Amino acid sequence: MQEQLDKALEFANYRQSFAIQRKTLKEKIDADLTYGVNGGIFKIDRSLLNFVEMLIFKSRKENVVLLDMNENPILIDDLTKFRDEVFDRYFSATFTYLEEYQKIKKARSVETLLEV
Amino acid sequence: MSKGIIIFAHNNRQIDYIRMSILAAKLANKNLQVPVSLITDPSTIDWMKESNIEKTVTETFDNIIITQRPDDTNNIRNYDDGKYRVHAPFNNGNRCSIWDLTPYTRTLMIDADYLTLTDTLSNYWDIDSDLLVSSKYNDIQGSERIGYLDTHISETGVEMLWATTVMFTKNETTKMFFDLVAHVREKYKMYSDIYRFNPIIFRNDIAFSIARHIMNGYQKIEEPNLPDIFSTIDKDVLVDVNNSRLKFLIAQNNSDDYIATTVSNKDVHVMNKFSIMRNYDRLMELT
Repeated sequence: MQEQLDKALEFANYRQSFAIQRKTLKEKIDADLTYGVNGGIFKIDRSLLNFVEMLIFKSRKENVVLLDMNENPILIDDLTKFRDEVFDRYFSATFTYLEEYQKIKKARSVETLLEV
Repeated sequence: MSKGIIIFAHNNRQIDYIRMSILAAKLANKNLQVPVSLITDPSTIDWMKESNIEKTVTETFDNIIITQRPDDTNNIRNYDDGKYRVHAPFNNGNRCSIWDLTPYTRTLMIDADYLTLTDTLSNYWDIDSDLLVSSKYNDIQGSERIGYLDTHISETGVEMLWATTVMFTKNETTKMFFDLVAHVREKYKMYSDIYRFNPIIFRNDIAFSIARHIMNGYQKIEEPNLPDIFSTIDKDVLVDVNNSRLKFLIAQNNSDDYIATTVSNKDVHVMNKFSIMRNYDRLMELT
């Protein structure tokens, strides 16, 4: 029984380290998905990406007002340039997220987690 | 508009803040690409000369601004180093003087134990807001270790701001704000009665929170803030730095049981100053 308990405790340690690593990674990606422009600050998420793409599709490409994270109105003079920037940042951050997440998922012990 | 970072460093007998500030400055300069200035005092400068780091300090900082050491002889706090505890003066009562002392029109103030490992704060220079302060504490372990007094100045008081990172534009509004912070500091006991917080130790976080509450007409107003302060507490221990990974032992729910974890490419507030100093050379490799 002692051996099983020791194993369980070791696994519990691993789970906690894993949970902290995952939380830290998620927050790191959230920071990468923050974009400051024209006095505003935007959270790059699917909603922003879709909205911007829809505006461009509707030919609203210049002098568009977007609400930033703080619900402040921000004038974007060139929406295509803004779209390209947020898409680049989104793909770069999410690929990093995937890569790093797979690394921590594959690590099956505290020791290997610390090397990720 | 000139942009720059300010770090305060007032040594005490236990902690060499000026050496710590060199590390914080080099990391911030590398990742945010703006100059960094130091605010310090004559006795810390003497120590700097004695310990032969004058050249490094001069090379690291854009300006060295010498001011009077804050009179914090009675402001003694506990500094934990993992399971060990040290008592030392907490010389931080002059943050409100930053408005007068900063040479920049847009200033970012960071603590000497705040390690800037990313360019995240660069996003905030041009935000259309005169004053930005972090409004949330983000504990490395998670919400289990965050108590009510980490989010509010007292059981019945207003929400806490974290003066670990503060960004402001030098203008009349922010002058008013920092004058209010100075006033709260001066009348700290009186404000502790009004806001019902413990006045034993002067905390900038509390003075900043009250000043903003007063400036906002004693109301909570939604306004832009700096990112949450991602922190390790002083009971946590930075054990190693390897390939840009900071390895920590985290005191599980503030107990004496520790969990291992790493942090990389993320700004982190390391409250255990002793463990920063133990890993100083390895941390300097990141600059």
